[in-house]
Amino acid sequence: MAGSGKAHMRPDGDRVLTVEDLTVEFRMSKDKIVKAVSGVSFDLLRGETLAIVGESGCGKSTLGKAILQLPKPTSGSVNFLSTELTTLPKKELRDMRPAMQMIFQDPVSSLDPRLPVSEVLAEPLRVWNRGNQVEIDAKIDELLNAVNLDPKVVRDRRSYEFSGGQCQRISIARSLALDPTMIICDEPVSALDVSVQAQILNLLQDMKDRYGLTLIFISHDLAVVKAVSTRVMVMYLGKVCEVAPPDALYLDTRHHYTKALVGSVPIPDPDRAVTKGLIMGEPPSPMNPPSGCRFRTRCPAATEKCAAEEPQLREVAVGHFVACHHPIS
Amino acid sequence: MSETSQLSTTDVIDTPVKVRRKRKRPLGFYFAATWIALIIFLAVFGWILPAPSWDTSFYDSLGVHPFHHSHILGTTLDGYDMFAGLVNGARLSVFVSLVSVTIGGAIGTFIGVTSAYFRGKIDMIVTMAFNVMLSIPNLVLSLALLSVLAYSDENHPATMSRRVGVLMLSLTIVIIPILGRIARGATLQWSSREFVLASKSMGTKNFTIIRKHILPNVAPAILAIGFLAIGSVIIVEGSLAILGIGVPGGASWGSMLANGRGNIAYSPWEVYLPAGAIALTVISCNWFGDYVRTSLDKRESKI
Repeated sequence: MAGSGKAHMRPDGDRVLTVEDLTVEFRMSKDKIVKAVSGVSFDLLRGETLAIVGESGCGKSTLGKAILQLPKPTSGSVNFLSTELTTLPKKELRDMRPAMQMIFQDPVSSLDPRLPVSEVLAEPLRVWNRGNQVEIDAKIDELLNAVNLDPKVVRDRRSYEFSGGQCQRISIARSLALDPTMIICDEPVSALDVSVQAQILNLLQDMKDRYGLTLIFISHDLAVVKAVSTRVMVMYLGKVCEVAPPDALYLDTRHHYTKALVGSVPIPDPDRAVTKGLIMGEPPSPMNPPSGCRFRTRCPAATEKCAAEEPQLREVAVGHFVACHHPIS
Repeated sequence: MSETSQLSTTDVIDTPVKVRRKRKRPLGFYFAATWIALIIFLAVFGWILPAPSWDTSFYDSLGVHPFHHSHILGTTLDGYDMFAGLVNGARLSVFVSLVSVTIGGAIGTFIGVTSAYFRGKIDMIVTMAFNVMLSIPNLVLSLALLSVLAYSDENHPATMSRRVGVLMLSLTIVIIPILGRIARGATLQWSSREFVLASKSMGTKNFTIIRKHILPNVAPAILAIGFLAIGSVIIVEGSLAILGIGVPGGASWGSMLANGRGNIAYSPWEVYLPAGAIALTVISCNWFGDYVRTSLDKRESKI
């Protein structure tokens, strides 16, 4: 698993984002380099929701931030709305920012505790001179209504007076303020209660339909991903393992790592035995990743070929791609 | 969007009426505020009070006890009025400490916040510079500066204003790394919060982020340590005076202490009164700083 390749890229369609061979490395000291993302490619069509899943530390959040050039990736290309972002001068990059927004994992940390909600939402509008105070006030009310918060009640309150779910609604309202084309949701519900998760997921779906958004949805929770996505990309240690529609990923799993992920989703049935021995141990250090297939050290089907040769993504069914020498059949 | 979900999310926070519980202030706060107000009042309006001149020796009343009818806090063995000396010392102490902490704090905050926000090589150099500055004992630094920039002997006495100026310069240099490090640490903590990243991702300019998001959040820590710093600046000034550098002739509390310490057996109030004034002011600054920090820290003040 965990290979490179571009077999899953679609040649036509209304592309919002094309990412090719994206690499993000962090230099820790002279000879220590963390390879957080290594040669990831994917594309995103208008109106799609692409889910990126993987365990903690597999580089999925880093990938999301690298798309926004925060910080800029080490190499590779990010083409957003037919503009190459990686080589774009600072000023023009800034002009692109309103079209791509981000929602973060920690809802409380996403809001400045010193600012009332009205100021939090006014910030993007002021930065881009979207109207005078009256127009900004009207836009704030519209945004708060859109995320089901009563403007009269919440406008003057600060983030610490809200629950996590309410903070996340405010973050969503803020990300919508500049009428973006694409929103990157970085684990937007993993800090929330399950009941609130459903509310926020429904809200994101509503907003997507209402404002015609394209979403990248980063998560480690396959159950959540299944509910929202049109396409799922599984990552392991900075590489892509499998790309498939969510149903195919569940019912026709091809990658050994994906199988482990799917098997780790808890099933609410007390009589069911716990699935054991799917994968063992911790992922290897991204400072010194294994040769060939990066998953081989934990893979039950690993052979010598996996150490010698890196698997490339190849199509195993329509729209279903896997990077593995010995896929599950 | 539906009617039901509108209800379900708004009923959690129901009333728009603001209920702000009034926090009971600790007794120490009232004490500290009163003392600081008194010191500032004396520093600013002390010259109005019907007190004798602070630098005139009354040869007819040497070493008078406190509560004397013409010298309310007594006189020194040399006949200087204690009350007038303390009022004049308050003016000098308040002036020197406020000016050096304000200027040093502003410079330190600017350096600390910008270097922590932008990181990189400059941040490494700034951190190293702060550490080097902090490794020099502040008394030694002030001593060196005073003896070089305000050199004084019998033939070439340095003027009072020059000595005070060099004293403030040296105290400012002492303050810069102290508050600079606090500002740097607080900025590191706040600039890694996701609202800063959110601000960047919407295209807010870096200096707007620093002004709107970083400075208001690091301000409580800086103000609290700033008040502590005022206290320690007063102590450093006193220590310098006792060493015989700094401000001569009983013009500051420390200087009064230095002049009076030889007479402690005959007129102990010469030592106790200025020492008490220094101690009370330092304690008040610490308590007041604590109070400012807790009341500016929104989440803590809600509990």
